[in-house]
Amino acid sequence: MERAEKIGLGVATAAHVLLFGLLSAGFLSTPNPLKLNSPPMDINLVDEVALKSAAPQISTQPPPPSVAPDKGPTEDAKPAPEPEPQPEPAPAPAKAQPRPTPPPPKPVKESPPKPQEKPAPAKKEVAKTHAKPKPAPEKPAPKAKAAPEKPKAAAAPAKTSKSTEKPKSATTARASGQGKADKPKGSLLGKDFLKGIDTSADAPRKVAPPPAATMGAAQKAALDRVISEQIYPHLRLPSGADVEQLIAILDVKLDQNGRVVGRPSVIDVQGETASNRPQVSVYKERAIQAVMAASPFRNLPDEYYEQWKWLKLRVDARKAR
Amino acid sequence: MNLNLPAIGAATDAATISPLALFIQADIVVKGVMLGLLLASIWTWAIIIGFSFSLRKASKESRKFEEDFWKAEDIDRFYESRGKAEFPAAKVMAAGVTEWRRSTAQKVIDRDGTRDRLSTSMSSSIASEIDRLSDRLNVLATVGSVAPFVGLFGTVWGIMRAFTGIAAAQNSSLAVVAPGIAEALFATAIGLFAAIPAVIAYNRFSHGINRLEARLTRFADGFYATLSRELEAQR
Repeated sequence: MERAEKIGLGVATAAHVLLFGLLSAGFLSTPNPLKLNSPPMDINLVDEVALKSAAPQISTQPPPPSVAPDKGPTEDAKPAPEPEPQPEPAPAPAKAQPRPTPPPPKPVKESPPKPQEKPAPAKKEVAKTHAKPKPAPEKPAPKAKAAPEKPKAAAAPAKTSKSTEKPKSATTARASGQGKADKPKGSLLGKDFLKGIDTSADAPRKVAPPPAATMGAAQKAALDRVISEQIYPHLRLPSGADVEQLIAILDVKLDQNGRVVGRPSVIDVQGETASNRPQVSVYKERAIQAVMAASPFRNLPDEYYEQWKWLKLRVDARKAR
Repeated sequence: MNLNLPAIGAATDAATISPLALFIQADIVVKGVMLGLLLASIWTWAIIIGFSFSLRKASKESRKFEEDFWKAEDIDRFYESRGKAEFPAAKVMAAGVTEWRRSTAQKVIDRDGTRDRLSTSMSSSIASEIDRLSDRLNVLATVGSVAPFVGLFGTVWGIMRAFTGIAAAQNSSLAVVAPGIAEALFATAIGLFAAIPAVIAYNRFSHGINRLEARLTRFADGFYATLSRELEAQR
């Protein structure tokens, strides 16, 4: 090895060490842009739970209050219907205001409120044209149930008046621009009359669940998950070949607290093969036990009780833990 | 769940191109390949540096010697003063002069035989000088042609290992695949790092050697012609 080569070797070694040292120290690496702007952030992984009604929102609120009669007068109104057989006067008020006041003689006291009521329909028309035709029909029915005493009287006259007045009140009905909803209320007593009762009767009524809470697919999936999460930890598989292929379909009834009512019954077993046939009956029993053990189910959405009070559960052996 | 992004940043930092980190992470076979290629690269550069020194020195001194030789009036005296030097042209001249002295020392001079011997001795001297100079060129040629393949071998091995790693992890996300591939590719990178300068240097130096050889041959021919003329003058 010549002198020149020795020098060359020394220089080359030094240069390589230097180069690799610099590369290792990140001399040529580009600065990491992530570092520049990466404040720590919280990431929440949330299950897709969508327990919300897929049905259109139905207002449970009463329509905007019109000029409500005093409570006193409404009680007085009960007697008013008693003299129902006075349908004849009824037509008269439909035509003109001054007449109705005289015909119900007892509610003479009412005569002051009535003038107030009559202007009310005008407002109501406005309110009704705004919207909420649905709530209007609801109310008459619930009133009949919830507050039987007072409304009975009120409803009765309404009906009678309907039958008699229909031809005559047609004009008023048209005037108010409403369909059936208005008719039962009749022109005789005025819509405000029922309204007043509404306000008193509504309070207890609201407790009942809103009627049209139907489930969408997402809700169903979420419900399935909630339930299967609670069942599978309790599911103990029988030992045997191909047991994992079994799927039991159970018929389960739940009460409002999520408790299983009675004993679930097995409707069907799927995935039965020659090799796991001996285990089928055991698996059925285990599936039922798992459901019973999971009772009471937690986290079920109250508002969908209608949907989960009777459940068709698939208990899939593959998901057992 | 809190994901700490700075931690991820640190993780990517570890995976940046740090030769040392890549080397340490690598498989033993790939490590061997890398180490061998690194040594080849060092050796290549040592040869390049040493060779360029010696070649430049040889061609420069040869040219100067040639020029001085043609200016010299007395070949014997010029030989006494400069002919003992250690570079190709001087060696060629020394070979010629030595042969001349031996051939003319006898009482009867065989002119044809002397011419043959002069020619042969000088051309063999050129050949040996060129051989001596180009001794290291074959190393450059070898490194230049083989290093990429060796690096490729390391890469193939490393990627095979990375794939088995993927199979074991049952996860083909980039974070699992990337480090193995990167460290495997690093072997090819080192191979190219060694091979490219070797190939360039080999071509450049073989060209320089050829030029030097041509120059020496011309010088030898001229010197031979001079000696041959001198031989005529001897009775």
